Amino acid sequence: MPESYTLTEEEREILQELMNIAFGKSAADLADVINTHVELRIPDIKLMPISELPAYVQEKIKGYTNIDMVEQSFYGRFKGDAVLVFSQGAGRGLISLLQNDEHEALESDPIDILETETLMEAGNILISACVGKFAEMLKDVVTYAPPMVVFNKHYSEAISLNHDKKDMAAIVMKTDFTFTKGDVSGFLFLITAQESIKWLKEALQSFMEQYE
Amino acid sequence: MIFEQIFDSINIGIVILDRDLKVYGWNRWMEVHSGINKEKIKGKQIFDVFPNLNTPKFIRGCKSVFTLGSFCAFSPRLHHYLFPFKKTGYSNQRFEYMQQSCRMGPIRDENNEIKYLFIYVEDVTELACREQIIHEMNLRDGLTGVFNRKFMGERLKKEFSRYKRYGGVFSIIMFDIDYFKKVNDTYGHLCGDFILKSVSSKVVSLIRDIDCMFRYGGEEFCCLLPETEIDPARVVAERLREEIALQENIFEGNTIKVTMSLGVAVVEELDDSYERLLQRADEALYKAKAEGRNRVVVSG
Repeated sequence: MPESYTLTEEEREILQELMNIAFGKSAADLADVINTHVELRIPDIKLMPISELPAYVQEKIKGYTNIDMVEQSFYGRFKGDAVLVFSQGAGRGLISLLQNDEHEALESDPIDILETETLMEAGNILISACVGKFAEMLKDVVTYAPPMVVFNKHYSEAISLNHDKKDMAAIVMKTDFTFTKGDVSGFLFLITAQESIKWLKEALQSFMEQYE
Repeated sequence: MIFEQIFDSINIGIVILDRDLKVYGWNRWMEVHSGINKEKIKGKQIFDVFPNLNTPKFIRGCKSVFTLGSFCAFSPRLHHYLFPFKKTGYSNQRFEYMQQSCRMGPIRDENNEIKYLFIYVEDVTELACREQIIHEMNLRDGLTGVFNRKFMGERLKKEFSRYKRYGGVFSIIMFDIDYFKKVNDTYGHLCGDFILKSVSSKVVSLIRDIDCMFRYGGEEFCCLLPETEIDPARVVAERLREEIALQENIFEGNTIKVTMSLGVAVVEELDDSYERLLQRADEALYKAKAEGRNRVVVSG
């Protein structure tokens, strides 16, 4: 890996601290939007080639048998993909949490549609809270592609990257979260695109300079 | 100047709301479909004009845009529409209002502060219509229009798990047309098809809205009667038998009468799957055949 694509120990620590602060703020904002507290644990930060990512993610989520996922790309100078992994069936717990009682969807399988839409909404909110707050602290503004929901997969099928540049590096930030109501928990992976790493290193530097 | 022209000529609705959810922008598409001019609506609270938007989901969407900078979606599958507009085009009677796919997101000032939110409104009525048609085609039998065997499996499975989880009761009737092969051999397959259609629509007209009729295969059918004990189920079966036996089917000048044999079963504690229940109804149907046809036999 070229040196410009590695993180020094100091940079990793700043990043971790920064994410801690960002996630703390996200939790407060989330409580305001969805009226429930979301606990976000201290993130774990790793730099790895993209080819190793699926194995890494599978290792982290192997406690789950079947999973539902929400994937969303974000674009800014901070750019990459967010992947939320829930244990299968979490959508139902989220339905009551979000008071979605709009059952009059299509005649058949309304609950499936409701579950998909609820996962999509909750995922969208959670991802934009975490990504948005983090980007904001580094003076960046991001936009988002619509989220995609992947239903009822075996955990070993998580992250089937069809990336053509498998030797590219990614910074992977992993955290686990729990909604205090609704008994829903899962993992959030933020996968930073390689072209963002240079910016991220500079942004971390100028963030630190404020305090020097 | 350029952007204003695009704003007003683009074929989607664009609404801009300020932080108090008062209308700041309203493009021509919105004027055309709502019949409200932008001068009229500008500065008005959106809920005063569209009270139907005052839902937890919409409010949560606005909050997440202003607080988190989120982009959120209101899909036509769940919400059908945000703005109750008349549908356009001639073809479809399926929906009362225009089906809409809507997106919402932040608009920032030069300091990146979120000052407004936008809502894009896209007319997806045609698409929703096609989706519904394809969806229905997948559930129904092409000849008779009643539900197909694939859907029967799904529906009975659901009914059965509901029963296992919450209790309650439901019954099924398996039935087929007696000596159907003879109809085909005597009058031809077109006539056979006609009889299948005619029997199906008669049965559908006799059962309740909450009941479902499925074509099991060939001339064999099944009815699901939710919330129905065995005695009323037997009464329904008896009524179907009588009415079909009385019905005169007229095909190319020939009056053809057919009878049916029916097997009825109610779900029981001992059934470990819906297939077991089907099997019991099927056995009752065979008994009805063996006992001379044109009759109802109850399982057990």
